[in-house]
Amino acid sequence: MALSEHDLTAEFERTRGALRSYILRITANRQDAEDITQETWMRAHRSLANFKGESSVKTWLFAIAQNIARDHLRALKRWPENVGDICKEAAMSDPDFFREAMTIHKTSPQARFEIREHIAFCFTCVSRSLPLEQQLALMLKEVYEFTVKEIAEIMQNTEAMVKYWLHTGRSRMIDVFDRRCALINKEGACHQCTELNGIFNPKQNAQEEAVKIQMVRDAAKQDKEHLFDLRMVVMKELDPFTSPAAELQLHHLEFDRQVMEGRPEQV
Amino acid sequence: MRHLLMTLCLMIGLHSTAQEHKAATAKTTFHRETSVSTSIKADPAIIWALLTNASDYARWNSTITSMDGEIAPGGRIRLRSTLDAKRSFKLKVKEFQPASRLAWGDGKGLRTFTLIPHDNGTVTFTMTERIGGLMFPMYAKYIPSFDASFDAFAADLKKEAEAIANHAQP
Repeated sequence: MALSEHDLTAEFERTRGALRSYILRITANRQDAEDITQETWMRAHRSLANFKGESSVKTWLFAIAQNIARDHLRALKRWPENVGDICKEAAMSDPDFFREAMTIHKTSPQARFEIREHIAFCFTCVSRSLPLEQQLALMLKEVYEFTVKEIAEIMQNTEAMVKYWLHTGRSRMIDVFDRRCALINKEGACHQCTELNGIFNPKQNAQEEAVKIQMVRDAAKQDKEHLFDLRMVVMKELDPFTSPAAELQLHHLEFDRQVMEGRPEQV
Repeated sequence: MRHLLMTLCLMIGLHSTAQEHKAATAKTTFHRETSVSTSIKADPAIIWALLTNASDYARWNSTITSMDGEIAPGGRIRLRSTLDAKRSFKLKVKEFQPASRLAWGDGKGLRTFTLIPHDNGTVTFTMTERIGGLMFPMYAKYIPSFDASFDAFAADLKKEAEAIANHAQP
């Protein structure tokens, strides 16, 4: 099935938001997300004649984007699961972090701190602790709702391997959040979302805010699979570029990325 | 007599065609060999991925408490097992034929894993460990039986691989 330039443009415009947010969530790099999205468009346009219609245009575009991103990501170290602790420590000793964050919070229309936004930010960071293929497959399935067959096409691998990555990646993330996230486990070591809520929204009661999120309300049921699904609902509901807290969360994400991958040298 | 039969089976390769074998050990003066087989209904790629992802072992395998390193050609791993919780085993990957055959070991022993796919979609998984050498008679009595641990390893692998293969995912 041939794809016309007009159809490609229309499909790209429909897919652009999801594509850009996916690349951001796997790279944790705003600039890379913009650049790779643009590069995807150019490559798709150049190879329009190669599109055979064996997959949907959306799947084809994600495959192109992921190929570009994966080459870049393979060169980077994976992050540890306690990335939040490490970056919190770094932020506490960096006066610029809170000064910049407060300026964004006061001046940007997209900088209202919300716990659910931090849940999505947190998953983006912690999922970087998975082996790369597990992280990519998990995001594509759980957040962007591709089928196993489509993910196999995007990742250019077998459905059996996709099932393996999904199973192990999901199991690992459920275990990490079950041990660490105080929102679902009273013994959990990480309270960062409620602590930040206290800083940005000092008049709010963090616990009252937290229970507005279904994952927190259902925590007592202790069905870990169910709680993970609810965490993924939060991810699906938010676009990290357009959400009410996007500017603030993108600032946090860039800070974490620089802590984990090194800051650009000052000129 | 049982040990003799087991040794004969191992020698002529019957263990590799059998579908289910509880762990059994054959002993000689200078060696001891334990082997287990099970039939797994899963793609060999899934079983291979489970066998070669060191950091994931402790999640699905009840006989291994931790494993570090890289299971790749020439790779080195360090594992802790429930057989001897206090001891850390430093091992080298000695054979690595994707989705077919894997072996790791040290100067005293060699553990070999083989996968044989069948037309009906099942895979015969066999795990064998041969330990020994000239000094074996001196320390043989201090080495615990592997049989229960081997049965648990094979059962855990079967359960995990089949759970992944059968997971209803659109």
